[in-house]
Amino acid sequence: MSKIFSSISCNLDEDILSAALPLFETEKVEAIEWSFDTLFKFGNIPDWFIELLQTFGKENRLIGHGVYFSLFSGRWSKQQQGWLTHLEKVSAAFQFDHISEHFGFMTGKNFHDGAPISIPFTANTLAIGRDRLKRIYHSCKCPVGLENLAFSYSLEEVKKHGEFLDELVEPVNGFIILDLHNLYCQVHNFNIEFDDLIRLFPLHRVREIHVSGGSWEESGIIPGKKIRRDTHDDAVPEEVFRLLEACMPMCPYLKYVVLEQLGNGLDTEHKRKLFRCDFIKLDAIVKKEKNLRRLTGENTFLPSKNIIPVQPPEDKLLHVQQLTLSNILETAANYSHAVHLLQSSILSNSDWETEKWDVFMLETAIAIAQKWKHGFN
Amino acid sequence: MKLSKSLLNAILVAVTAGTIISCQKPKVDDGKKPGTEKSKKSGVPVSCPACGMG
Repeated sequence: MSKIFSSISCNLDEDILSAALPLFETEKVEAIEWSFDTLFKFGNIPDWFIELLQTFGKENRLIGHGVYFSLFSGRWSKQQQGWLTHLEKVSAAFQFDHISEHFGFMTGKNFHDGAPISIPFTANTLAIGRDRLKRIYHSCKCPVGLENLAFSYSLEEVKKHGEFLDELVEPVNGFIILDLHNLYCQVHNFNIEFDDLIRLFPLHRVREIHVSGGSWEESGIIPGKKIRRDTHDDAVPEEVFRLLEACMPMCPYLKYVVLEQLGNGLDTEHKRKLFRCDFIKLDAIVKKEKNLRRLTGENTFLPSKNIIPVQPPEDKLLHVQQLTLSNILETAANYSHAVHLLQSSILSNSDWETEKWDVFMLETAIAIAQKWKHGFN
Repeated sequence: MKLSKSLLNAILVAVTAGTIISCQKPKVDDGKKPGTEKSKKSGVPVSCPACGMG
């Protein structure tokens, strides 16, 4: 029987580490997930943080989670090549058990600006995504996976997301991170039953589950409509823990359950205490499941071969469409302005099907893009 | 998982001495040039958001 590790997302952040320290002291944390591409302004990582990463790495309990690769950017960029070079270096320095990235493309004009937004599910985007995953594998030489995105333009897109993820990772025999709070967002935003939604995901590919909190936002367009957003700045809702209990038996290759929270949600001792309570709750669910878990066959999540073309495939039209969409989302004064700009842009009557986008999700996309357009402090 | 006492002490010292910062907040467009007081501190590592940008 394979072990499932109760894990935390652990980055070089004062509040995260303050919250996690008592859990480390009591040996509760069984694995850590490090976003290896988020430290980029300074080359020197403190020795103690390196030791922390190496300690977990030596036990095959360190997993890497990228944020800024922008998997579906239509144009191959120098920054993406640099990201791969960085991955190769950190993979040589630290022993990752697997590497994952986010679904979507980054809206920002500059690397490390913007936020991930979805793309049309087409043959072209599939080819680009598959190529980029092969390049990630080539750099890290360990299992590669993708996380389901919280944001979707429409219910139709939500229903196709799992199948598209399956097709994307298939050539690298990759895995899926099932982010339960992202699914929770979609259940609420699109009024879909969780039982119906979960069946649309390739659960045999789930190697990792994310558990986190988020926030509610009132729609300014639809009175009474509350939008659930994946902001990772609050405690985990009870419902998400129930989803964890329900999902674990459905995922035969599950290895990591990770509690994620941003440092800005851990800026008081009370919030840090809630974080630790959430982890204890998560750990209890994981331990309970371990006893009931079915024996399953092995899946290494490694490809039998990995051939990549010298030139990364690009899609110039997709690139221009992405720039156009990013510009509209980042600069629109309001929802009506964004609709007007979309209707008169190259995105109109295209694969993006902007005409089918839900009102409140376009409103949310504007909020996300404008929140992160200047990056972070 | 068990961590060495020296490592735990090093983490404790780092979080109490303020040699690392919490900076996972979106940059507010205040008309100022990029960079904040915290991020300008020499040698202070800056970590950007890992996730939660939805």
